[in-house]
Formats: sequence, structure tokens, C-alpha cells
Amino acid sequence: MSDKPARAVKLNVLNEPKDSYTGGPSSLCPGCGHDQISSVIINAAWENGIQPHRIAKMSGIGCSSKTPAYYLGQSHGFNTVHGRMPSVTTGAYAINKDLLYLGVSGDGDSASIGIGQLIHAIRRNMDMVYIVENNGVYGLTKGQYSATADVGSKKKKGTVNETQPIDLCALAINLGCTFVARSFSGSKKQLGSLIKAAMSHKGFALIDVISPCVTFNNNDESMRSYGYVKENEITLHMADYIPHFNPVEEVDVPEGHFRDITLHDGSTIRLETISEQHDPSNPMAALSALHDAEVNAKHVTGLLYFDATKPSLAEDLGLVDVPLLDVPDETLRPSQASLDALNAEFLA
Amino acid sequence: MDKIINDFTINIATANGTGSQSANLILLQSLFDMGVPVSGKNLFPSNISGLPTWYIVRLSDLGYQAPGDRTHIQILVNPATWDEDLAAAEPGTVIIWNSDTKKKTVEREDIISYPVPMSSLARKINPKIAKLVTNIVYVGVLAELLDIDQACLESAVARQFKGKESAIELNITALGLGRDYCKENLTKTDPYTTESREVDRPQFFIEGNEAAALGAHYGGVQLLAWYPITPSSSMAENIIAYIPRLRSNDEGEATCAVIQAEDELAAAGMVLGAGWAGGRGMTATSGPGISLMQEFIGLAYFAEVPSVFWDVTRVGPSTGLPTRTQQSDIAMLYEGSHGDTQHIVLIPGTVEECFEYGWRAFDYSERFQTPVFGMSDLDLGMNRWACEGFTYPDIPMDRGKVVREREAFEAFETFGRYLDVDGDGIPYRTLPGSGMAPILYRGTGHNPMGVYSEKPEDYFNLMARLKMKIDGARDELPAPLLREEEECEVGIVFLGSMENSIQEIDDILEQTGMKVSQCRIRALPLHSEVENFIRRHETVIVLEINRDGQLYGILRRELPNDLVTKVHSVAYSDGMPPRARIYAELIQKKLKEVSQ
Repeated sequence: MSDKPARAVKLNVLNEPKDSYTGGPSSLCPGCGHDQISSVIINAAWENGIQPHRIAKMSGIGCSSKTPAYYLGQSHGFNTVHGRMPSVTTGAYAINKDLLYLGVSGDGDSASIGIGQLIHAIRRNMDMVYIVENNGVYGLTKGQYSATADVGSKKKKGTVNETQPIDLCALAINLGCTFVARSFSGSKKQLGSLIKAAMSHKGFALIDVISPCVTFNNNDESMRSYGYVKENEITLHMADYIPHFNPVEEVDVPEGHFRDITLHDGSTIRLETISEQHDPSNPMAALSALHDAEVNAKHVTGLLYFDATKPSLAEDLGLVDVPLLDVPDETLRPSQASLDALNAEFLA
Repeated sequence: MDKIINDFTINIATANGTGSQSANLILLQSLFDMGVPVSGKNLFPSNISGLPTWYIVRLSDLGYQAPGDRTHIQILVNPATWDEDLAAAEPGTVIIWNSDTKKKTVEREDIISYPVPMSSLARKINPKIAKLVTNIVYVGVLAELLDIDQACLESAVARQFKGKESAIELNITALGLGRDYCKENLTKTDPYTTESREVDRPQFFIEGNEAAALGAHYGGVQLLAWYPITPSSSMAENIIAYIPRLRSNDEGEATCAVIQAEDELAAAGMVLGAGWAGGRGMTATSGPGISLMQEFIGLAYFAEVPSVFWDVTRVGPSTGLPTRTQQSDIAMLYEGSHGDTQHIVLIPGTVEECFEYGWRAFDYSERFQTPVFGMSDLDLGMNRWACEGFTYPDIPMDRGKVVREREAFEAFETFGRYLDVDGDGIPYRTLPGSGMAPILYRGTGHNPMGVYSEKPEDYFNLMARLKMKIDGARDELPAPLLREEEECEVGIVFLGSMENSIQEIDDILEQTGMKVSQCRIRALPLHSEVENFIRRHETVIVLEINRDGQLYGILRRELPNDLVTKVHSVAYSDGMPPRARIYAELIQKKLKEVSQ
């Protein structure tokens, strides 16, 4: 036996190593922003000291919705159908309100096919964290525009997008969503803080995360990327070739400042962190910040709106204190006497 | 003139939203309370106010519950259908008509005419609600003409307006006005009358939807997720209405959650979420809702998530005739969603069975870890039927193969969510939050461990196991109800609310010298007794209320080849509750064809 002390493994408040929070290997394109978000989720759950099996991982269909396989391997999850994750989560919540529901969705899932379910989950103030991994394209079907694509974006092949995008944060604020934030997949520090805060929030917490698609999000300047790869990879004529990139570099934009971020394809996006003067309890200020950013071709990030006063769905359902899951069968089924009484009344 | 006692049909033509339903239910209930075997069919429009409504009351000492072949007494109150209803009356029909109706009269020599100034009589009571009161006036007229017991009438009024003293008083006064007018001004020249009957066992009236709702509570439903749709809404509303009484503690806190969803898709999603979390979730809907839920139904089947769906069917396709009855969702329920699927469908034919399958649906769904459908229809669900009382579940709730304790979990050598440990195709599951064997449930291909897989053998084995699992349910589900003749000549296979017409159909056929056996299917997939019944009979008719013979299609595919040739389809639907004579004649025609 060696006397050499074992290398200390960092533990959280539950004495759990971070390994207890990881998942399987990702099958997304190397460099995908979604994988960065997965690692932030792992960190946030670990740092928050949440028992991994008390988390329920929920998703719909799409690249983003595959990610629950890549984090929190000790949590049950449900990869449901396209755009319908909110309803499945709502049903599960009615049975077991004590789990932490962590939903991950994409812009196709949330801004198109499932926008109705997103809206109604917000309306019910369903108690969950809802992360949108927003890249403006349909990745799994190879690069069609989604409803969040900016006007003027141009695909690798095809036309310029002329249709107005839906801003999910503005939509959520208008609906009275109780926690609305925007972030960027490369802003691990900010995103981590937002996810941790959202996990502690009682009610619906929407985090819209800009998460560039390394393969299909190419706009005008993507030609450079295309060209770059073309020069370096003679196999590019293969239609299914997926270029390998390193993840976007980590960025930390101080409050009230902005910074241009260079994406894989050489294009840039301008991220602005909302200033500390911003009052997140004021929906008009939040909408105004979103509007100003749009006018100035920026993406404003941070906690935009927050309201801790609204009752969440659990309070509206009027249920017993314990989760319905824990109510014994003998209580769930009314007594023989109750049926005898009903039969007697009907016959009277 | 010979009296005709307890054997005639009354047709009441009114307009929707005028309060006629209360009056008609009072009429029905008072006859029922006299012990007269009676059934009521509400033919209402998809409308809130103004469109024509007919209510058909059939009295039959033989217990026939289908609408009769013809109308014996016609009430004319609605000017919109006046001419049509009058023209349709066969000679000898009694016409009781509101003589205050503008520009309308009854001028036919071949009918028995009783004019009654219903509006003026109603105005005497309260001019402001004269239209409402008009309806109860015609019930008073009928009561006098048919000798309906006054005490039964008054108790029916009290039942209808539970505790609302002023409404009870007003209605009893109006009944009296109708009676008095009749006594003083009309001379009875028709043969129809009623007589009280001794009833062997006491019965009450209840709608199928209310019975199924109660059944759901005795099955311990924990989540009702629903979206309003005729004719299922009253099932959901009855579940909600009984929560305070049956499912709440002293603080008024419930053990059943209710969410009115944004649409049927969301309702289905919530039901699946509840099943996934380990609870008993259900929805109540109709055909259009089931159409919308198809994707989730496939997910529930493939990912093996318990979930209960009640389909109170109506006339399709598309919006169809939303307020009329049909059995046209059989194929859609049995094979719901894309891909190869097969589902358990429970098919009640009586209100007692609505109750029973209301609770059993959850047991089957959790036991077989698969979606289970209840298939009722508008006729059974929204009309009132006689019931002797509901029977308390005779077995504890079956929660299926759920591993809840760590010790039990550790006894497994290998635990895989979709591993067939017992050889019955039903795997074991652990629940979210338990910390045991967590998996990511998915609608994509998966191996026995629940991990994504596109391997040919994984997909093939999974589909074969699912097939075996559902096949294994056949003889565990409610067996068909058989009423057999010794001769085994003609067998009729049918399902659901056809129960209420079958005896009359049988009697019409037997009057021609034919011996008819009955086999009412009460669940899909088919019980082995169905095949045995068919084997025993010379010729088998599959009788159903639709165009295409959907049940027949299932039988044709699943029966052994040597039996297929003796099975024949009689399928007919016009939106009306099944009238015995139409189906009996179609059966005769079919039998003639096949004997040639």
C-alpha cells in the first residue's frame, strides 16, 4: 500500500463529487453550444447541492432535447414529443410536486410547434426551469430556419430569412412569466448563476440561451467558414461532412457593458450584459432593454424580469400537502361506505 | 277502443335553450318512478339557443330502450319544425300542439288533435318566463291524458330542482294548469295510457358519463387533464363535482388534481406525465380529441407509460355531427398512432359497466404499462339509463410492476427498464425521484436497458415483446357477455350501447322463426371466448353503428381463416340512436344474401 494520499476529490455540500451529476457522452456536433450548456447544468446542480435523483430532466424533440442524456445520469428523464414537454412536465408535477423539473428545449420546440404549450405553462406559473437552447435553426433536419432566426440571416444554401423572429423573452415578459433571463452558451459564469437562481425560483423560470449551431447557423460571413474548411478539408464535397470546432471561447461581459463574440464561422454577435441599474421587477424596463438591444443589433443578457409574488401551479391545484404520489391507495380509493351512501341517495 | 298501456313513443319538438330539457326529464323521471320501463333520447343540436331539439320518450313494458319505429304522440311547440313534424306524423298519431303559436295550426283529419294554448297558460303564471313555463305546461297536459301519477310528478320536479323551493312551486303550479286545461277543455279520444308497475328491484336513473366519472374516483384517479368537447364534457365535470365529497380531506385539500388543458394534445401530455411520475392520470374526450392525441398515444405505447383515455364517441369524420351518436372510433382506438400499435379498449354497454371500467381502466393501464381506452358513446354517456346501483371494487388497486423499495430493487440481478424478467412481456419500472435505475424515457428506439438503440435486433425484439404483452391481456380483460340459444343458428356480435337495442332486434328476428344468440364484446383485444362463440354458430353477424364495419375488420383479420367466411358485417349509421327495426331488417337482408 502506498502512503501517498489519494488525490482529493472536490465534493459539494452533499459530499457528492461532480461525477455524480454527469451523463453519457454527447452525440452532438463537436463544438456545439448545447454541450457547453450541459456542462453548466451539471455544475449548477452540483454547486447547488441538489440530490441528483430529485431532479427530473424533461425535453421535447430536437438537438437540444437530446441533451438530457448527457447530464445528470442519476436523474429520471423524459424525452417526450416535439414541442410538448411542458404538458408532460405539468402532468408529472401534479403527481410529484417535490421534484425539481428541469426542462430543456430548443427554438423549434419552443417558438414553433410547442409555443402554445410554452405559453400555457407560463400562464399556469408551472414550477420549473425551462432552458431554451436557441440557435435559430433546425439542426436535426439539417438547417431550416426556425422562428427565432434574425431577419437577414443567410443559410449555407438557400435564401435570406425575411420573416420576423419571435423574441421568447419579450413574449414571456408579456405573459407575466415570473423569471425571465437571456444568456449565451459561452458565458458559463453568467449562465451558471442564472440556472442556479432559476432552480431556486418557485414558479416558471425561462432562460433563453443563445447557443450557436456550429454546423448550420452560417450567415453571410459563414462563407468564410465554409471557405476555411474547404481549403483545409478535401473531403468537403461529401454532403454529410460535419466540421469539427472547438467550443466558443468563454466570455464574461461585465454588467452594463458589451462585447463582440466571434463565432465558429467568423461571424460576430454583440452581447451586452444588462446594467446593475436595471430593475428586474419592472416589466416595462425589461421590454425596453430588449427593444433597445434589438434596435442596436445587440443581444442583451442577464436576469431581465423577476416576480416572486405570484402563486405557482401547486398552490392553484388545491391538493393535499404531500405529493399525490405518496398518498396511499386506501386513501385514493373512497370507502365502501361512501359508495353505499351514494347508491342509497340515488335510489331515494 | 282498447287501451294501449305502457307501449308507445312520445316525440317532443322544441327549440334548444328554452328549458325544455328540464321539463322532459321531469316527464321521464315521473314515468320511471311509476315503475314504467321508459327511456329518453335527447336529439339536440350543436348550438346553445334556438335550433330544433327533439326528445323521444319510449314507454315499453318489454323493456325496449331503442327509439321506437314510429311516434305515437307528437308534441308541437317549435314553429321552426312544425310543418315537417306534422307532415311526418302517421295517421292516428296524437298531436298535442301549442295553439298560441303564430301562423301555425294543425289541419289534418287523420290524426287526433289536442290544441292547448300553452303560451297563454304559461303567461298566467309569469309573463316574463312564459317560454320556459310553456314546456312544463305540456308535461301537465300529458300527465292528465296519460294518467301519470301526481305524486311521482311532484317528486320528479323536486328532484330536478333540488332544494330550489320557488322553482319547485312554480313548476307544480304550471303542471296543474296543464292538467286543469286538459280536464276542462279536451275529450280524450286516443288509446294511450300509463299504469304503474311493481318493480322487482329498485332502480335509479343515471347518465353513463356520471357513472364513468364515479368509477374513475373509485379507481383513485389522481389527475384529470381535459379539454371540453361534446359529448364527453359531463364526464370531466362530474369528476370535478365529486372531488369535494369523495376525494378531499377536512381542510378541503384534494387527492385528485384537475387541469383544464389548452388543447387535447396538452391534456394527453399531462396524462402521460402523470403516468410517468407514478400516478393515475386520465382524460375524457371524443373522437376529434383522440385524433389530436395520436402522437402521445404512440409514445405511451412505445415508452410503456400508463395512461387512461375515455372516448365518448360522436359522429365523424371531422367535426361530423357533434351531438349525435356513433361507434366509429373502434379502429382508431385499437390501433391509435403511427407505426405498429395495439391498444386495450374497454367498451361498456351499460351504466354499471361505465362505473366498473371507470376504475378498472387504471388497473389495466398500470398492470400492462400501456394506454387504456374507455369507449363509450353519446347515447350511453349523455342519456339517462336505469341502474340498480354500483358495485364496490372487489379487488385492491393493481399498481403493476413498480419497484418502490431499495431492497426489492437490489434483488434484481440486472435491472433494465424494458427487460422481460417474467416472460410475460411486462417489464419492471422504477419511479422518478426514487434514485433507482434512472433512465431517460424516450419515444425513440431503445434496448432492454432503456438506452437509445437503432440495432435491428433491439427494435425487432422490442416490438415482439410489446405484441406479446398486449396479447397476454386478452383473457384478463372483461369477457364478452353471451346470451346463447341452444340451436346456435345465427350469432350476433356487437358492442357498447347497441346493448340497449339488441333485445328488440333479437325479438324482431325471432318472430320470423330464427334463433338468435348474442355476444357483446366488452374489450379489445378480443377475448378468446369471442372466437369460441363464432365457432359454435352457423352464421355470425357483426353489428355496429358505423359505415365501414370497423369491428368486423378487426375480427376478419384476427380470426382463423376457417371462421372468417361465416362472419358477415351489418354496419349502419345515420346519427340516430340505433332503431331496432332498421338493424333487424338489415340483418335479414344480409342473411338472405349470404344464404344464396
